[in-house]
Amino acid sequence: MILISFDIDGTLTVGDPPGILPMDMVRAVKEQGCLVGSCSDRPISAQRAIWASHDIEVDFTVSKHMLPDVKAEFEADMYYHIGDREDLDRRPALEAGFEFLWPHEAVDMPWVDGPDA
Amino acid sequence: MTENAPATMYRTDEGTGPWEHRGKVAAVGVGHSPTARRWDGRAETCVGAISLIALRRAIEDAGVDPAEIDGLVMDPVTTTGAYWPKGKPVPEEVTSAFNSTDNPLDGIAGLSAEWILKNMPELTGIDFTMYGPGCMSNAICVAAQAVGDGLANTCLVLKSWHNYEGRYYQGGANAGSDLPGTAALHALWGTPACYGTALQFAEYCRKYGKNHDMMAPFIENSRQNGLKFPEGYWASHRPEEITPEDYKAARWIAKPANLFDNDLPIMVSAAYLYTTAERARDMRQKPVYILNHAASNTRPRSLTPTLDEVEADTARTARKIYEGAGITAADLSFENMYDGFAQFHQFHIEGLGYRGMKFGEALDFYQTDISIHGPNPILPSGGNIGCGRSRFWMHTDCIQQIQQRAGERQVTGVKPEVAVSGGPMPLGGRFTVWSATPD
Repeated sequence: MILISFDIDGTLTVGDPPGILPMDMVRAVKEQGCLVGSCSDRPISAQRAIWASHDIEVDFTVSKHMLPDVKAEFEADMYYHIGDREDLDRRPALEAGFEFLWPHEAVDMPWVDGPDA
Repeated sequence: MTENAPATMYRTDEGTGPWEHRGKVAAVGVGHSPTARRWDGRAETCVGAISLIALRRAIEDAGVDPAEIDGLVMDPVTTTGAYWPKGKPVPEEVTSAFNSTDNPLDGIAGLSAEWILKNMPELTGIDFTMYGPGCMSNAICVAAQAVGDGLANTCLVLKSWHNYEGRYYQGGANAGSDLPGTAALHALWGTPACYGTALQFAEYCRKYGKNHDMMAPFIENSRQNGLKFPEGYWASHRPEEITPEDYKAARWIAKPANLFDNDLPIMVSAAYLYTTAERARDMRQKPVYILNHAASNTRPRSLTPTLDEVEADTARTARKIYEGAGITAADLSFENMYDGFAQFHQFHIEGLGYRGMKFGEALDFYQTDISIHGPNPILPSGGNIGCGRSRFWMHTDCIQQIQQRAGERQVTGVKPEVAVSGGPMPLGGRFTVWSATPD
């Protein structure tokens, strides 16, 4: 099982500023069977609204500092966080025991096309 | 060259009696630019360009011939934390789109009165310009005094903000290795900007037995009000509420101040048209009379004011506000004190004694009905939390509420007759009392 946490602003195309990862990619990853959610500075209610407006049922929506809670709640073989900031994404992700990917690295991951998820 | 307002323009002392121009100056027109999170580099969205939009909208709103305007008061500084990178070329396509001054970054990273006048040829009658630095709270005090003193009859007041890519407060001199004086302790080796307020709030919670979660209704109410402010950033771009759950789940910036206790820097400009009470009667909008303006020049004993210093000064400010306006706390229909950072709003309103409030009681008050529809509206503008970082939503809201044109945001639980707004910080703020009638 793979768990993937998405930052929103600067990472997803719906972000402010927009990132490069389309919601269709998230949807595809989810359909592969990955655990998917968002970890963002957006209010949690706003994160839920974004996912609902794109008809994507996610497994978690948490604030930026809550990756350790995600890891504690979900059993997975691999944990990834995808984001665009060194200080707010990469560093806390590594500290929480996640693998970290910049958005441009994420598009090259095998689980985007997904047979092994 | 335009100069900063002299100290004599501000009402900083207690015991001076009613303001000599009480009810003789009025705000009439309001103009706002569109907002943006950051400048996109285009000429038509630079801070100079959005300022021209705001000014022209205020003139149009007041229904005044631009040639009749004889005064301009503004703040030449358009940021507190977004600096033009050293060595970065000034975009020629932007500067060539306007009539420039000697400063190539005028209209891009700052704004002089001279730049405004060079780019508003319709303002043919301006013979008074002055700076009220820091924020709109300052500039409107200067404009009120200037009109009252007869330095100008019909005066525009302007405050604009720019914001660039990158982190706020991280560039400019803050990115260097040395700064003079105590600034080094704050900006180079120090803390997030909200640290001082967080420290005061921590002491407040200890002293009065309160906690951070008790701020949640205030934050929720502020954002709800802000989402009813169509000129605001959040209403225009990201209509997101902040629920109590959202607030309590946010990360700490400087504990006990979290992300949503801080505001969001944006691009925005606002302008007002001030004039004499007599002249205002013939304008398009209902006059909103200025009963008083007051200022705090108190300096803390150390780097950060203590809670004791804050409480003493907000009480002193309130006495100045009421004395000069000839009112008491019981006369306030609503309050619109500053909120950026959210955690000092209660210091302002406790000092005012709003609705009989005493020190240590604001957070309990926040647990009651503080909405625009109740009898005790708190910050109906939504402030910076509700609309983005500008330090002027509260003034616009006072004008629009009293003019009965605040739209969805209009207070309904009270009759909007007398209001107070101002800031920024509890120490060093500038404040205005607004009224539906001149006496």
